[in-house]
Parts: sequence; C-alpha cells; structure tokens
Amino acid sequence: MKQTLLSFSFRKKKNQKLLSLLFFFAFTMICWGQDIVINGKVTDSNSKQPIPGVNIVVKGTTIGDATDFDGNFSLTVPSKQSVLVISYIGFITQEITVGDTNFFTIELIEDAAQLDEVVVTALGIKKETKSLGYAVQEVKGESMVKAREPNVINSLTGKVAGLTIRNSTDLFADPSISLRGGTPLIVIDGIPSTDNDYWKLNADDIAEISVLKGATASALYGSIGRSGALMITTKRGENGVTRVDYNTSAMFQPSYIRIPNVQTTYGNGDNGSYAYVNGGGGGTEGGGWIWGPKLDQLDPSTPSGFNEVVQYNSPIDPNTGNRIPIPFISRGKDNVKNFFDTGLIYTNNISVSGGNDKGNFRVTTSHIYQKGVAPNTGLNNSSFGVSGGYNLMEKLKVDASLTYNKQYTKNFPQTGYGPHNQLYNLVLWTGVDVDVRDLRDYWAEGQEGVQQKHFNTSWYNNPYFIAYEALQGYYKDNTYGNLNINYDPTEDFTVNFRTGFNSSTTNRDWKEPQSIIGYGSLSKGDYFLNSSTSFSLNADLIASYTKEINEDLKLNASVGASTRYWDNRNLSLRTDGLTIPDYYNTANSINPLKGSNWYGKELVNSIYTTLDVEFLQALYLGITGRQDWVSTLPVKNNNFFYPSVSFSAVLSDLVDFGDPISFVKLRGSWANVSDGRTGSTYSHLTAYNNGISWNNNSSLNYPSTLLNDNINPETSDTYEVGLDIRFFKSRLKLDATYYSIKETNNIVTVPISITSGFGSRLINGNEYARKGVEFIVAGTPIKSDDFRWDIATNWSSSHRTLESVYDGSDRIGNIKVGSRTDQIYSTPYLKTPGGQLIYGSNGFPLNDTFSRRRGYSDANWVYGFQNTFTYKDFSLNVAFDGRLGGIIYSTTNQKMWWSGTHPGTVNEHREAANNGVDSFIGPGVVVVGGDVEYDIFGNITNDTRVYAPNTTKINYISWNKNTSNAVFDHYYSQSFLKLREVMLTYNIPEKYTSALNIDKASISFVGRNLALWSDLPNVDPDSGFDNLQTPSTRNIGFNLNVSF
Amino acid sequence: MKNIKLLYSLILLFTLGSCTNFDDFQIDPNRTTKGDPSLLLTGIQISAFNIVSTDAAFASRQMVNVEHNNTYQLYGWQRSGFGTYNNLRQVLKMEEEATLAGKTAYAALGKFFRSYFIMDLTRTFGDVPYSEALKGSTDEPIFTAKYDKQEDIYIGILDELDEANSMLATETGTISGDLIYDGDLSKWRKAINALSLRILITLSKKEGNSNVGVVSRFNAIVNNPSQYPIFTSNDDNTALPYYDLDGNEYPYFNSNQIKTNYYMDESFINHLKDREDPRLFAFAQREENGANLPEDDFNAYGGLPGSDLASANSARVSQGEGSLIAERYYNDPVNEPSIAIGYAEVQFILAEAAARGWTSGDASEHYQNGIRASMEFYNIDSAAINMYLSNPQIVYNASQGIEMIITQKYLSFFMNSGWEAFYNQRRTGFPEFSTDGPGILNDGMIPKRWMYPESEIQSNRENLEAAISSQYPNGDTVNGDMWLLKNE
Repeated sequence: MKQTLLSFSFRKKKNQKLLSLLFFFAFTMICWGQDIVINGKVTDSNSKQPIPGVNIVVKGTTIGDATDFDGNFSLTVPSKQSVLVISYIGFITQEITVGDTNFFTIELIEDAAQLDEVVVTALGIKKETKSLGYAVQEVKGESMVKAREPNVINSLTGKVAGLTIRNSTDLFADPSISLRGGTPLIVIDGIPSTDNDYWKLNADDIAEISVLKGATASALYGSIGRSGALMITTKRGENGVTRVDYNTSAMFQPSYIRIPNVQTTYGNGDNGSYAYVNGGGGGTEGGGWIWGPKLDQLDPSTPSGFNEVVQYNSPIDPNTGNRIPIPFISRGKDNVKNFFDTGLIYTNNISVSGGNDKGNFRVTTSHIYQKGVAPNTGLNNSSFGVSGGYNLMEKLKVDASLTYNKQYTKNFPQTGYGPHNQLYNLVLWTGVDVDVRDLRDYWAEGQEGVQQKHFNTSWYNNPYFIAYEALQGYYKDNTYGNLNINYDPTEDFTVNFRTGFNSSTTNRDWKEPQSIIGYGSLSKGDYFLNSSTSFSLNADLIASYTKEINEDLKLNASVGASTRYWDNRNLSLRTDGLTIPDYYNTANSINPLKGSNWYGKELVNSIYTTLDVEFLQALYLGITGRQDWVSTLPVKNNNFFYPSVSFSAVLSDLVDFGDPISFVKLRGSWANVSDGRTGSTYSHLTAYNNGISWNNNSSLNYPSTLLNDNINPETSDTYEVGLDIRFFKSRLKLDATYYSIKETNNIVTVPISITSGFGSRLINGNEYARKGVEFIVAGTPIKSDDFRWDIATNWSSSHRTLESVYDGSDRIGNIKVGSRTDQIYSTPYLKTPGGQLIYGSNGFPLNDTFSRRRGYSDANWVYGFQNTFTYKDFSLNVAFDGRLGGIIYSTTNQKMWWSGTHPGTVNEHREAANNGVDSFIGPGVVVVGGDVEYDIFGNITNDTRVYAPNTTKINYISWNKNTSNAVFDHYYSQSFLKLREVMLTYNIPEKYTSALNIDKASISFVGRNLALWSDLPNVDPDSGFDNLQTPSTRNIGFNLNVSF
Repeated sequence: MKNIKLLYSLILLFTLGSCTNFDDFQIDPNRTTKGDPSLLLTGIQISAFNIVSTDAAFASRQMVNVEHNNTYQLYGWQRSGFGTYNNLRQVLKMEEEATLAGKTAYAALGKFFRSYFIMDLTRTFGDVPYSEALKGSTDEPIFTAKYDKQEDIYIGILDELDEANSMLATETGTISGDLIYDGDLSKWRKAINALSLRILITLSKKEGNSNVGVVSRFNAIVNNPSQYPIFTSNDDNTALPYYDLDGNEYPYFNSNQIKTNYYMDESFINHLKDREDPRLFAFAQREENGANLPEDDFNAYGGLPGSDLASANSARVSQGEGSLIAERYYNDPVNEPSIAIGYAEVQFILAEAAARGWTSGDASEHYQNGIRASMEFYNIDSAAINMYLSNPQIVYNASQGIEMIITQKYLSFFMNSGWEAFYNQRRTGFPEFSTDGPGILNDGMIPKRWMYPESEIQSNRENLEAAISSQYPNGDTVNGDMWLLKNE
C-alpha cells in the first residue's frame, strides 16, 4: 500500500528553481540512489503492540523513516555498514548495524526515567525539557482536532497551568486569554503574530502548542514576550510517510446550560395594567416595563373567557376604527425555543503530506462553518496552506510555509446589553403576552422597508427585524507565512535565517435599517463601513556555535539580530441617514458622509545573544541577553537591554534517590524584561484630539493626560523556581512552580487633581508585584494490557498587588499599598456595620456616599482535570475545569429584577402592587437616633446611630424598579465547575480499515460544555463578565478522522 | 553555489532592512499639533452651551421622572464632579494658541469662558481652585491647587469679565469657528456684560460686602451702555443652535426617556394654567385623559407631584394622567436653540436690580420685556402676549416684585439656561418647590450645594480638607451654606 501511495516520487531534478521549492516541494522530490532496501517492524517489548511514529535514522545522515500505524518501516540505506538509530519518546534508543539483514524485528524497551522530551522554546529552538530552567507545558495538536471548538484557543481551556481562557458564549467573540495575568504572545512557526487573531489558526494544522509561561522563557522575543508565549508549531510532512488525512466534525448546539429563565405569569405593562396605544411606550403602555397584568386570567364577561386587553396585534373594529381587546394570555411561553435555532459547528479538513530523506511537504485545506443560534447568523472560516522543507545540500536546509485564511460572514450578532441584542428584545424586555412567531413578518403593514412592526417601537426592536435587516458583516483575508534557512557550515556552527509576515485585510459593514431604535436614537437608515489592513514583518538572523568539550561539559552560544516592523491602516465611513431605504451605499447618504482614518507603524530592532552550558549531563545553565531599539518611545530613551538567567539541575542524574522516586529536577530562573510602549503607537506624543463637528465646523480638544518627554521603558523582573518530581517509573508526576514578578518603573498614567487642568499624567512609577503558584499532577493510576487510565490535573493561582506609589502615598485611588489590584469598588446601598440595609423615611434604601470594596475580580484558583480511559480500541476523555473565587457583576440578573422578568418577582407583593397596594417592607433598618461620622475615606470614626426595623410599606414594583431588588447587589461569585468535555473515540481496528485501503480511522462522539455548577443564575460565568451574553449552549456531535 | 548566493542575498536584504531612522516614527500622522484657536473655540462653545438638562428640570419642579425615584427630583443627590476643569483646559489652550498665532481677539473670549466655567463650579460647591488652577503644564507645575475663597473667586471673575469687555472695545482682530455669533465681536461684548450682570444678581445677598461692591459694579455697567453694551433682543441670545446632522441634534431628540418616563410637574403646569400662560402649549402635550379636548384648552393638561414616589406617579400615568413634554422636544432634531444666557434673563435681572433699588430703572418695564422676550422665543403672537401682559395676575405689583420677577424668570427657564431656575430659587426662595410628598429625601430639605468629588479626596486631599473645614462646620454635606448664600 505504501509503495502505491509513494508513486509520485520523482527523478532527480537538481536544477529546479529555488522559488518554486517553497511551494511545490511535494512534486519535486528527489531520490538518491537506491543501494539497499531494508524493512522492519517496531513493537513495544512489554505489550508486543506495534508502535507507530518511531524514528529510524541512518546514523550520520539525514536518511530516515518513521514507522506507520502498524509499526512498519522501510528504508534505503547506503551500505551494510550503516547504523540504524531507532528512537521514540519514552523508550530507550537503540542502535543496530544493518549488516546482511533486510528485515528487522525491533522491540523497544520503555524507559521509565527517560526524559529526553523536546519542546519548542523561544525563537523556535527545540530543547530538551529537562534542560529548561523555566516552566513550559505542551499541548498536542491531536488533542484539539476531535472535540471541535470554533476557535483553537477555546480548546486550551483547563489544560495548561497558569493559562486562563475565558470563553465567550457569543458567536465570533474572542476568548480572553491570560497567562500568569498577562496576554501571551502568539508565535506561529517562530514568527510572532501580534495581531492576536485566534481565528486564523486551524487545529488540524497544529502539531503542538508549547506554552512558554514566564518572561524567562520568552525573553528572547523582547517586550512582546513579556507575558510568555504560545509557540505554535504547524504540521510538516513526515519522512517516509505519505498520507492523506481527512477530519470532519459536526457539533450541534441543541440545548442550553444557561439561558435567562424568565417568569411567564405577568405580561407587559406597568402597575399591573396595560393597554396598547401606538407603540410609543408612554402612558398606558407602561413605559416598556414587564410589570403588567397577570396573564391567563379568566373573565367570563369577555368573548374569549379570558381577561382581554388592547394589544399591538388587536384587530381594528371597522366601524369605530378602535382596536378590539384580545385575550391577555401567555402565548409567548416558548419564545426562546421558537426563535432560536440549533447552532452548528461543522469542520472539514483534508491534508496531504509526505516526505523522504531530502524533504517533506504538506498541503492542507479546511473549512469551518458555524451557524449561530440566532437566525440568519453564521461564520465561515476557510484556510489553505502549504508547507515544506528541503535539504538543498547536506548543510543547507530550507523550510517554509504559507497560509491563506478567509473569515467571512454577512451577519454575526451584535452583543452586549442593549436594543441591538436579540436576547434583550426577546427575553429580557418582552412579556410573554407577545408571541415572537407573530412578529416574523417584521414590517409594519403598508410601511415595508420603512417601519418595523413591534409592540413597542420606542424602546425595543423586533428580534426578527434585527436578524434579517440589521446585518453586521465581516470579511477578513489573512495571509501569513515564514521562510527558514538553516546553514551548517561545520558540525559545530549553524547559521539560521528566518523571516515571516502576517498580512490581513478586514472589511466590515453594518447595515442599519430605517426605524431601528437604539437608546435615544431612531435610525433614518445608515450604512457603516470599516476597512483595515495590517502588515507585520519579522526577520531574525542567528549564528550558533555548539561545542562538546567533553562528555561532561557542553556549550552552545549564539548571537542574533532581529527586526520587527508593523503597520496598520484603518478607514471608517458612515452615512448620515439613507435617502432610499434599504439601499446600502455611501452614495445614498442624506447628509455629508462622516469618516475617519488612522495610520500607524512601529519598528523594533534588536540584537541578542544566548549561552547554554551543560555540565555533568545533569546541570544546565542558560543565559540570554537582548538589546532593543523601539519606535514607541522618544528617541533619546528608545533602547534598553534585558538579560535572563536560568538553571536546571536534574538531581536524579547526580544522586540515586531510590524507589519510588524516579526523577527529580529543580529549576530556577530570573529575567529582566522591559517594555517601551506607552499604550498605543503614538500615545507618547502630545497632539490635539479631533472633537465633535458642529454644523460642519470641526473642533479640536487637548487631551487630559499630561505626557512626559523623559518617559523611560518599564521593567519587570521575573523570578521563578520549580520542582519536577516523578515516582513509580514516572507513573506519577508532580510539577510545582512558584513565581514572582516585580514590575518597576511602570509607564503609568496616574490620576492628578483635575483642577490642575489635567486628569492624569504619564510617568514612570508605581511598583507592582505578581506572585503565583502552579501545580500539575499527572499519573496513570491503572495500566494493564487492555485498559489504561491517565489523569492530569492542573491548578494555578496568581495575584497582583500594589507595592509602592510613585509619590510615596499609601494608595492609588481605592487601592492601598500592599493590597490586590483586582479589587472591585462600587457605591452600594448604605448598610449598618452589621450588613443590614438602611432605609430612608420613604421606605427605600439609602445610598452610601463612599465607594466600597465589593470583592476581587480574579479567581483564587483556576483548575482543570483531564482524564483519558483507554480500553482496547476505545478511548474516553472526560475533562472538567473551572475557577474558584472572584466576583462578577451580572447585568442580566440585575436587569431581570428591574424589568419584571425575573421569576423571583412572582409573589404576593407583586400581586398586591398590581392592585395598588403597598405591601412590601424592604428588609433592614431605619436610623431613629444618633449620628455617624466618617473620615475622608469613608471609614466610620464615630457611630452613635440607633436603629429600628424598617416598617414602611412600599410598592413592590417600585422597589424593583428603583433598586433592582436591593437585597441582591448583583455581584455574584464567579466560582464554577464545568464538565468541559466528554469524548468517546473508537479507533477502528486494522482488520476493517485495511479492507478499505485505509491506514487508520477513528470515530468519536463528542460533547463539549455539557454541564455547569455555579451559584450565578441565568448566566455562564466562564466568560468572566456578563453584559447580557448569548445563551450558553451544550455542544454535542461527532468526529470522523481517516488517514490513508 | 546558487544556494549560498540566495543566503547571502537574504542576509544583505536583512541588513538593509534594519537601517531605519527612528525619527520617522515620532510623528503621529493621525493628530495635529497645530491647534488653531478657532477649532478650540468651537469645542469650548459646544461644551459651554449644550446644556439642556432634564436633571435641572427635575430639581426645579418642572418635570418628574416616573421610572424611578429620581435623586434630583427628590433632593437626594450627593456629589458632583469637577469635569468642568476639562473645559477650562481647552480655554487655556485656546489662549495659548491665540498668543502664539498673534490672534488677540480670542484672549477676551478666553476670559469670558473662564469666568463662565468657574462661576458654574463655585456656585455648585463653594470654594474651588481658581488662582492656582490649570497650572499642571507650567514650568513649575502645580498638581494640588489650593481652594480659593468664593468671595475672591467672584471678585476675580468679575474683574476678568470687565477686562474682557475693555479688550474687545479696542480689538481689531477677528475670530472664526464661532457657532454663536459668527465672529461678531460686538455681540460677544454684550454676552460678556450679560454674564457680569448674571453674576452680580447672583450676589444679591452681598449688597453690604464692600470687597465686591455689587451695586456699584452693577451700576457701572447699566449706566454706561456705550462702554458696556448689553442684549437688546433675542437675536443677541448666547444660544447654541441644533441641526439635523448626526450628533448635532437636540439632546433629547428621539429620547425614549423623555417620550415615556418624564412627565410635566404639577406645580409647573399649575403656574402656567393659573396664569393662562400660552407657553404651556409650547411646552407640553395634553394628558391621555385630555386627549379629546382641544390643544389650547388648559384643562387638557395636567402634571404629577414632584415630591411623590415614582410608583405613585407611574400609577397615575397608567390611569391616563400626566402631560408629557411637547413632541417637538423629541421629534424635531433642531427644536430650539439651547439658550445659555438670554435677553429675557437680562431683562429679568434688570427688573430685579430695579426692584431691589440698586438702579433707577423701571422694574415693571424690564419685567414685561422679559416676559415678551420669552414668549417671542416660543413664537407666541403679539396679541396673545399682550393679552397675557394685561392679565391682572401678571401686571407688575411692586409689593410682590421680586417674587413676580423670579417666577416669570423661572417659567422662561424651562429647558434652557442650564441650572439657572434652580439657582435662582436657591437664592430667592421663588417659586416654592414642594417637599411634602412621601418620596422626598434629605429630610425634606432642598440641598443647597453638591458635595465635592471623590477624586479630590484621592488626589488633592489636604487642600480639599482645608476648604471644607473653613466653609462648612458640619462637613462636606449638601445642606451646607456657602458664602454666596449668607446675607451681608
């Protein structure tokens, strides 16, 4: 089979043009003379099972092969004296001289303490894990291809200690990604990709993601690597393996783990009454509230037998011209089900790859289609990529890749609390007397194209009108690639040149139909256009020298230079009203077009050096240094140096710890990284801002921040220590890290008294410290011939505190020196020292006059559990993750109490209020005597207050409309546990696949986002904030993966 | 070797690429460093005069909010902000740019706007930074400005305005970017003097203070019209017009709140109904219960009591009671200009000064001029105006002179002149604002000021504490009496 697939091997074509090599390697492969052909099979000495992917290399050459799925390999060796080196991670490497044998049966012996794992480190340099003095964690690409998420970053959730992914439920919304509190740099095949476009990466093309956690790990990237890096290595063709991979997934979103659960007892209106007038919302329409009459009330005096009310869809009496009352019933109980669709993420990828001892290639194409739960929303994401490497000569290798990616949608939903959000209109602010199905024909009769139909046209939009007329389009083309040339003039000396670019063009548009409303706006129809192009180029030239002085002392030194250039052009245009409705063109503007544009460019030039020393094959020292010149600071202060030192000691290679300890490594590092940005490209330069234009007179205003010519780069010092200890022949592994990041000389805008004319000034100052711990425990509790259970868990905790203030004071705003910077302050209702609400004489709670700390926004712990159960050809993955601690303000819950849609509002007080009775007594006290004095920060200095229980009865509807139920302050715990993934995979046995000429195939049943345990109602806390999020869906589907 | 050549050429390319001049990156192509004073003037005028505020209408018993218990309406407010200093920064920059460009005419406008904004700050809080303010970018910057005594502030801004008036008398330069008077400096002189008159009448409790010399300053202006020209008609109003252009519309254009949640106050409606004031039809819509009556029937209109709870008022609305504001306020993007200082107000000031015996003017005549000017602003025909002026309730009666003048001034301030209606009531007690409803806060008292902003506690604490302790024995509360409100 292999031979037939290899049939596209070609004859020598030595003079093939170099350029074409980059892209068409595959079809220009060269085969050397075919001296001796050998074959063989590699198996595990323990289980006797074949091992796929084992490397077999002819020693001293680049000739080699990897075993296929059945452990078979085939190789052409130059002579009988050739020595085969057979290596595989986790097994002891063997060397065999070819001799006269031409079929080899090789059994590899598992090496429990074998740790020659290799990871990709900064600048794409592969290093042995054990030599590293800093924390690195690797995620294999294959763990992300079966259980599909719309975005590969989502797939990292819970897998890496210290990496916090906050997943948004909104379609096409970026996950928030935080590594030890900062945003890590994304590096694709060694080229930094600072655009943070997570959508251009396709999981099918990723071989592995190496997470470099600290500044030490990524110090060589300079300031952009200050918060660590995600090093993404894309797949390459493998030597001797030619194959076609096909991967398809369909994930459906049939149900929700969180959706606002609204009451269906009371309808639209206010004070228990409602009568439609004209949709203006005022008067008897009740101001848009859902504090209306009780639904489904029997009334024998009406034709229907139900209480009848004039409604927006009341028929008009032809005689009087008045609207005829119709039953006020809960016809819209299933509005959510009736409006939202089943979402879908449909992923297809096909790739062809191959390689021989001279080179390799891979071509890949994929398409991801996502259908949103809201009607008429979706997202398409297509990629096409080629990559390959070629050994031009024995000492000169070239590797390149080029990817084109297109993201496009004619409409994805607008999110966030407000009248453009469908959930806002459908669930939060519509009583169920309105059936959304009646709104499907969304134009008012006789006013098609001009006026939407809705029960309230001042405050709300018809959800279907938004879905089909208010369209948000997005069209982005990404092209990115890299070229890597490696030249080894001597065995010790290597010169590497690498360059790469990221280029993108984004076109966006917003169609605003006539009659759509916003807060205080009623559209005359508008069209918004935005176009942005971005380009970045990176180039590195590195020379390294490796010297093995003796077995116990090895050196590697390198010097390099690099440049990074970035520019961006942005243009926005918008109409001011549309003359002809539904004709979306800038030529159709009523008033002059409005527009703005932006251009910016940045440059960083650098030189750097590294030195790695290995001593006694167990002690490793790494030193790096880098000097940057940046364009984002005044020229006189624009350059700075940052060093790092790291150290690793594999103690178990020096001392025999004896059973059960199989491996002990200690690591430690320090890095000093500076950053020369004041915020954005030009924010260090003083200039006027463009102000509002009035009757076509433009205006300027002078910014509120006082800048500073002497601003210097800011610096962070990162210290890290770690312990990697393994037991029971590495069946149990523990990795612990402690780090401390001291941020000094920060470039900060500090608040100053606005009476100076400026609200803030830019200075170097303030000192912060971030301290954190990370733990990883991984093990294989059960391992038998047929069954295996692997479990891994990771836990991390990290907090940032204010250490000192630039002017020596003890606080910045509300944050005191020594306390955490993620404190949330707001002005609550006034409470007694015991925490009871204090009411005014009118029966409503009083406001505090000082802002108070409500809690912390960061979690105390971020954790994840991954389990893999393997039984024969089946494997089952079960993953949990979550966060503990931290608070979140829930807009959704607050608005539900406020609007009258919260199920908690259905009680006797609401009923009383509907009947005009003030029955509700807010829980808490009133002050009946004494006084309280505060110091200037609001701390109580003297308190003689005497309290009595609050006894004033108030209107329950008014209570909620005024306080959104003051008993809750709508800060909720962010803690949650989520069943992130359950995936059952069946690897189809060879006996079936071979009949179909298939190498391997698997089918998986996948569930993601399956269950949530959290104290936060109605909202999924995963995203870390709530401003009326899209309902959180349960994703269920399957994956089929075939290689042939 | 071909391959080596490729490598060399790439290295060469790389080396060339890195030779870049960093100076090229030190210019922001998106923003200008050349701030023409005219462009700053435009922005300053927008922030100074785009001041139509329903909050002021709530606090002045002109409108009520039925959505929630509004703190302005129920007198439960606490702190206000120092954002006005941002406007003062623009004034400072306008003056600097004008000096650099030799455009002297802007200097007098700078003094006008500084006085205008500082006046707004000091009447809100009491003492505020003035003499040391706006010195954050000087060679010896002051980041924690001391608070000046309100007395010194008023003297300072009156002197500045006097100076501005004199400067324009001899000014030969021109200004542009002027949204109000289209560069007519003679009108700016009138506006400067109108502001002086407003400030002086604000100091009516300070007749006996010789440092200020309120009466003599007032007379210096009104007795010398050639040196101190003042407004002579509504054409002279310091007023910002609105346009049917995105972002230039009337501030409540399309406002859902004003359409559905804000209703007319009962006392305000009654002031108009009792006097059969035709401005009612320009201000309000008929209530739902009066929808079948003609538009010019006073009985078709009704208000809601401002000191009641929102729940009670919204229940009344559900029963069809309560007039909404006239539709033009939310349906017409142009509606009416935002008057900051109007001819009517100046006439009422002159009437009050005469009534107080400061001047020898005819209080009745100025009073009538003020009413006529206000009604003409709403395009009320002269027959209706004359009829109104002949109404015995309206005819000037010197024994109730101040009350009648201030009440008419109050009616003329509906949805214009910022917070003037409230501040005039604070000074004179006219008209009475109801505080007897069950919704009222602050122990039934109308606040006299706002507490200082929390940001000053954080960034200018010592000066703030000194200012509080020297002015307010009971600390920084909304009920403290500032210098301005103490008789002397």
